[in-house]
Amino acid sequence: MAEPITSMEITAQTIEEAIENGLAEMGLSIDDVDIDYLDEGSKGLFGLGGRLARIRITKKGSQPVIIEKKPQPAIEVSQPGIEEETPAKPSRAEAKPPKKERPVETAALVEEPELRVARETVSELLEEMHIHAQVTSTFSEVADDKDLPGVLVEITGPDLSVLIGRRSETLNALQYLSSLIIGKRLEKWLPLMIDVEGYRQRRERQLHQLATRIAEQVISSGKRQALEPMPANERRVIHLALRDHPAVMTESTGEEPYRKVVILPKK
Amino acid sequence: MKELIEYIARSLVDHPEEVQVAQRNSGGRVNLELQVAKEDMGRVIGKGGKVANAIRILLRVAASAEGKSVNLDVIEPK
Repeated sequence: MAEPITSMEITAQTIEEAIENGLAEMGLSIDDVDIDYLDEGSKGLFGLGGRLARIRITKKGSQPVIIEKKPQPAIEVSQPGIEEETPAKPSRAEAKPPKKERPVETAALVEEPELRVARETVSELLEEMHIHAQVTSTFSEVADDKDLPGVLVEITGPDLSVLIGRRSETLNALQYLSSLIIGKRLEKWLPLMIDVEGYRQRRERQLHQLATRIAEQVISSGKRQALEPMPANERRVIHLALRDHPAVMTESTGEEPYRKVVILPKK
Repeated sequence: MKELIEYIARSLVDHPEEVQVAQRNSGGRVNLELQVAKEDMGRVIGKGGKVANAIRILLRVAASAEGKSVNLDVIEPK
């Protein structure tokens, strides 16, 4: 999943469903893709003998995925072979005066200790895992909590899907251990998010779409619906997405690692 | 793999000098035994084994790159 998916085939009950699922899976919008209709499918009689709809979605061009949903913190693209990176703009929550313009070569000197420790820790862990990748760190608002400026560590490079793992298990383990080590080194807790090739952003958008879609189904059927098991940070995205929804509410049930969100109609 | 777990364990404990890792290979299977100071046991195991499980997940990545499976035990100091 680390490599952006550029093309995939989807089968579903209807063409519309297949398109929706495919776009969610790829984290793209309808304008970003070309769709080939491989099999329009057929309903069959009383749901029997029907064929599933099959389509192929191909990303247009090879532009990187741009997510316009909300402004992202400044992300510095590091060039291969260049160790220094410019520090991120401090997030607004920090209320620091803006730094005056500085030449790139002094960037390393003014780098905040939090950014340096976070970047070094993740780099060292990856090195011990024999994974070669670029690591950059920036200040960011962690998730939706704007009062908590945290550090976003971004890992980029080829063949990093092993770093994500099933249900982002590996990425979460890496993030958890990194945050423990960084916390110990800085002697204070630091909210940390690690992303690999934009995976978390894509996944978050996909979860938002899922939440909205299932909420609509719950409203029209009047019946509660359970989602697939998800790690805590993903369940949180679902809860937040539907927090202010007028007609549905969410709760989590079950035991880790099979804990899942249930969407149910408001009484 | 031994280096990976040594790095993680030494980064988490209060007594890095007491971190010891024994590695035994049997066929495609690698058995790792991590030993830390008694008062550091909680740091490498974690509540409900959360830290140890996260370490196992990262070890699995390193092991599968070599086509192996890996087992980690945290043992009490003698």
